[in-house]
Amino acid sequence: MANQLFTDVSVFDGTGKKPFAGEVLVQGNRIKKVARGKSKIERRGVDVIDGGGAFLMPGLVNCHSHTTYLDTSSLAEVGDIPPEEATLKAAHNARIQLDNGLTAVVSAAAAKPRMDIVLRNEINSGRIPGPRMKACTPQLISTGGPWDARQMHMHHESFEITCDGPIEFRRATREMIREGVDIVKLAISGDNNTHPHAAEDMTTWAEDEIAAVMEVAQSRGVWACSHARGDDSIRLSIKYGIQFIHHATYASEKTLDSLEKRKHKHYICPAFGAIYTALHEASDWGVTPEFAETAGFARELEVGCKTMMKMHKRGIKVLPYGDYGVAWNPHGTDNRDLEHFVNLVGFTSAETLMMATMWGGEAFAFGGTPEMGQVKEGFLADLLLVDGDPLADITIMQDKDNFLMIMKDGEYHKAPRRRRHTARRRVAAAE
Amino acid sequence: MANQLFTNVSIFDGSGKKAYSGEVLVQGNRIKKIARGGKKIRRNGAKVIDGDGATLMPGLVNCHAHLAYCDTATLFALGDIPPEENQLLAMHNAKTVFDYGITACVSAASSKPRTDIVLRNEINSGRIPGPRLRAATPQFVTTGGPWDANQMHMEHGSFEIVADGPIEFRKKVREMIREGVDIVKLAISGDAFIEHTPEHSHTYSEDEIAAAVEVAHSRGKRLAAHARADATIQACIRHGITFIHHAEHASTKTLDMLEKAKDKHYVCPAIGIIYATLHEGSDWGVDHDYAVAHRFDQTLEIGAATTMKMFKRGIKVMPYGDYGFAWNPHGTDNRDLEHFVNLIGFTPAQTLMMATKWGGQAWAGDDPVEIGEVKEGYLADLLLMDGDPLADITLFQDTDNFLMIMKNGEYHKAPQRRRAAGRRQVVAAE
Amino acid sequence: MANQLFTNVSIFDGGGKKPYSGEVLVQGNRIKEVTRGGNTIRRDGVKVVDGEGATLMPGLVNCHSHLAYTDMPTLTAMGDVPPEENTLIAMRNAKTVLDHGITAAVSAASSKPRTDIVLRNEINSGRVPGPRFRAATPQFVSTGGPWDPRQMHMHHNSFEIVADGPVEFRQKVREMIREGVDIVKLAISGDGFADHAPEDTMTIAEDEIAAAAEVAHSRSIRLAAHARSDASIQASIKHGITFVHHATHASERTLDMLEKAKDKHYVCPAVGIIFATLNEASDWGVDREWALAHRLDRELEIGCETMMEMFKRGIKVMPYGDYGVAWNPHGTDNRDLEHFVSLIGFTPAQTLMMATKWGGEAWAGDDPIEFGEVKEGYLADLLLMDGDPLADITLFQDQDNFLMIMKNGEYHKTPRRRRVSRRRVAAAE
Repeated sequence: MANQLFTDVSVFDGTGKKPFAGEVLVQGNRIKKVARGKSKIERRGVDVIDGGGAFLMPGLVNCHSHTTYLDTSSLAEVGDIPPEEATLKAAHNARIQLDNGLTAVVSAAAAKPRMDIVLRNEINSGRIPGPRMKACTPQLISTGGPWDARQMHMHHESFEITCDGPIEFRRATREMIREGVDIVKLAISGDNNTHPHAAEDMTTWAEDEIAAVMEVAQSRGVWACSHARGDDSIRLSIKYGIQFIHHATYASEKTLDSLEKRKHKHYICPAFGAIYTALHEASDWGVTPEFAETAGFARELEVGCKTMMKMHKRGIKVLPYGDYGVAWNPHGTDNRDLEHFVNLVGFTSAETLMMATMWGGEAFAFGGTPEMGQVKEGFLADLLLVDGDPLADITIMQDKDNFLMIMKDGEYHKAPRRRRHTARRRVAAAE
Repeated sequence: MANQLFTNVSIFDGSGKKAYSGEVLVQGNRIKKIARGGKKIRRNGAKVIDGDGATLMPGLVNCHAHLAYCDTATLFALGDIPPEENQLLAMHNAKTVFDYGITACVSAASSKPRTDIVLRNEINSGRIPGPRLRAATPQFVTTGGPWDANQMHMEHGSFEIVADGPIEFRKKVREMIREGVDIVKLAISGDAFIEHTPEHSHTYSEDEIAAAVEVAHSRGKRLAAHARADATIQACIRHGITFIHHAEHASTKTLDMLEKAKDKHYVCPAIGIIYATLHEGSDWGVDHDYAVAHRFDQTLEIGAATTMKMFKRGIKVMPYGDYGFAWNPHGTDNRDLEHFVNLIGFTPAQTLMMATKWGGQAWAGDDPVEIGEVKEGYLADLLLMDGDPLADITLFQDTDNFLMIMKNGEYHKAPQRRRAAGRRQVVAAE
Repeated sequence: MANQLFTNVSIFDGGGKKPYSGEVLVQGNRIKEVTRGGNTIRRDGVKVVDGEGATLMPGLVNCHSHLAYTDMPTLTAMGDVPPEENTLIAMRNAKTVLDHGITAAVSAASSKPRTDIVLRNEINSGRVPGPRFRAATPQFVSTGGPWDPRQMHMHHNSFEIVADGPVEFRQKVREMIREGVDIVKLAISGDGFADHAPEDTMTIAEDEIAAAAEVAHSRSIRLAAHARSDASIQASIKHGITFVHHATHASERTLDMLEKAKDKHYVCPAVGIIFATLNEASDWGVDREWALAHRLDRELEIGCETMMEMFKRGIKVMPYGDYGVAWNPHGTDNRDLEHFVSLIGFTPAQTLMMATKWGGEAWAGDDPIEFGEVKEGYLADLLLMDGDPLADITLFQDQDNFLMIMKNGEYHKTPRRRRVSRRRVAAAE
């Protein structure tokens, strides 16, 4: 493909600063040149795409993705879906994510042991469309932990691997690394849906079990992420160096101090969306107000939002997205999380988009040099062209028709199209 | 308890003939004496119950019962109920059907291996209320048969036992006999509910049926079969399977075979669930379109016609069957009596004869147990109905219409007065 | 149901003090008003129940209950009962004990993994009658612990779960928590009945107790221990095990430890079964010689002394325990109240306080549930006794002496007249 030159675009570069009028040249799979204001880039030998003043931004990065979750409404239902069907649905989900501008994802758990690994490999081969992907294990849990769907008289599976004791956890982690995961998931706290035996404020792993998993992971250069709502589970996640601490709802001041000291070592995804929809939009699946009350969803949301703002103010990196892939919070609606960050937590649209792009790109490179998440010379060309201004109205990201162009690694997933609203042809020149 | 003398009652004795006015004396657990018309029985210290013209009749007999089924909507849902909870639910179901005048049941399948057996034993001990019960095995199916709920990657239990080949059948039937069943159930044909084995399919091989039957008969046990497809009905007749359930698609040749062997078999079409699936399943996602797409309308029509043909040939067809599902729950069993009248065209008298006299014979089999008729010497399983069920067979659908329920000479529901005042005397002229 | 006004009753309120004449009004499921003297509570719209001088008191609370045990004479006989039948038997036992005024029970072990849990849920649903119920696991034992009935050549079950090593304890306790238990039971010491693991041995290792306790505490589940030996009692205190059962051989040091932690523990000696084995088990081939050879006389004597010593130090001891065996069957639980008086030396008032007020507190734990006293605002679990139990504690052993049994404001047994016409309580109070 010839070099692609996007002209007359309003560039949001991922840093969170105001967008600037400019031009962007993509060569191969990288951003070759970015021009600001009146300066122009050579037009010869390139394909020129007149953006008509549209919003050019880095591709969105989801650091708490469940691409292989199956939009189910119950635990046992996940297990009942055989691996073949699950693989096909996972492929659809990957495409749906990319259709919605998610060009990279860090998985926070697979639905079955090899699902993420297989999906990542297939995407990487180019045979199917989907975001760049860090493949994760299923949720590792202990017996009786959240999502242990077994009954004494009947076996069931959900999206977990169950282990007890350090030796079993060690073996399971080694096995998953052999299969090719990038990241190991530890479901340390309980969860709202599994009251009273595995409630969200309880720690369902013993410390020697966490130590066992992390020892193997660290010795093999594999990352870790944790399901950690309760304070104690967050504390343990910090202690053992778990890179992605998900939810982190009930962090005490002491835990926040600890996290602040190590703020370059962790990322936090609260993943409110599934809680919000469970509260308001899930009655069709039997989630009644009584159940929501018992499960403490309202409290989870309220405390979670406050905690995220506190964390942000302390410089701890909070990121949007998470837990899309359940019946009442399905794939394809991930970008509602951006709206939640604005409306429920109180972040600005600019902050939110920065978290979803620049910080996401850094997280994806964890510890290394980030190569995407910004519109910056030399960075990988994961780019979106949006019809409208998401900084003014972040909900426009929820309609995939508003993506005029989706590019991943310098190739079009969605080739550019004209803006629908033709009146805005020129971005104001004075920038 | 003192002898109980029911006076001033209209007696439907189970034979199917018109009811007659009279009196009935119960002593211990048996019917001691019956008097017709104006004749009176000596009161000798008996407790007199004035029926006010109510109908006295034998208790109802359900020969296709599933007391261990838990009114679930899917196979998986039934399997997920653990054995302890299932036992308690079966106990509650036994009382429910008993409250509706069903004083005896032949099970057509348990949900789990021991549930029926334990329920029967507990009822027999007198510790809990319920009908006389013939306990059945769960449905025996072959791999891939109807209700095989397993997946390649995941085992599931539903309400079945899976067996393949004559040896496995032999062993598993022996095991169930050791545990104490009365009836061995084989699910020989498919079913419209199951995509991979529709109702015309035959899912057993001949040697598997032979193996199961040989063990059962050698131990004095009877069998029942789920048999919709024609070939499967023929197999039942060939192998001497007593209860042939559904039997919709019997060809003329099959009807000839069955007629020749009519003393050896009973047929329960279980029409209620077909009706309910067509019209009353939408709350559970089973709407009319689904039902028609799965040929339930045809099944109902053919089943009704076949049942009438069988009756005319002297084959013993009976109501009830397959109550115990979400859209056809326990407690609504007596709608089947209405279905027999409205959907098939039997008279109320014929229907009630099937549900009492024939049911009693079917229950007893070769055992010297006499139930199902109001007849001297018979066991006292009796109902007193507030009205004339031959005029209105829907009476049985409301528990309040049962003025008295007696089993084995003991009250499950002690006699109450009739609700409409003024109907105090039965018309004397018979 | 209309409010129920019990008038003309002698109120034993659970506090251990002398009863006083008065009136009690129940509204809904709670005690609305309690007054001294008579005729002071308003009568409009209430159903008046004239107690005729009978004793109104809180329902009895059994904190060492085994509703799932099947009145069997041997371990293996218990294991031989299949789960379906066991569920039905447990259901009947629940009604039997409620018929004897036991309105709440904390289980000290189930017979099979789910039996207690299922029973509790069925009682809570209202479908079967029974006491408020805290469901326990079966007894966790280690291989070779008391009640491991297996043989090398033959498998047996009894009423236990066998685990060895901290990881197995961890996994199996987690599994039981998933299934929904309220109490985790560990059989830490041996027992006089078990030749290979007598009562002065400790059969579960420290790291195994620690593993079980850690899981339970992290999930807000309490524990109970079978702990006859001194070391096992100390281990129970060290690991925060709430119910320390038997606790027979507590040394002075152990008593000191327990006294320091007296707000955290309850002790049920369960003397009844020892007494019955010594004197009433010969029909099952367990005669007095056998009992003496297994030191049960010593167990009883030392146990009684230890309980009195504990009580004097403010440690909460309570009656009941281990009814549900062939020679100590369900339905005879209230003999334990008599044993507390005649064998240990407690007064009837002390004994009944333990069985009501202390029992109620023990049942509730940290949950905001109030019963065990006749006190305004408390849940209406009440008994009306035909006579004065403080004068004759054996009253509770005959069902006919229960004129009324109420649980959660509903009648399990509706009020009936006293059998002898003693119409007025003595006015001088």
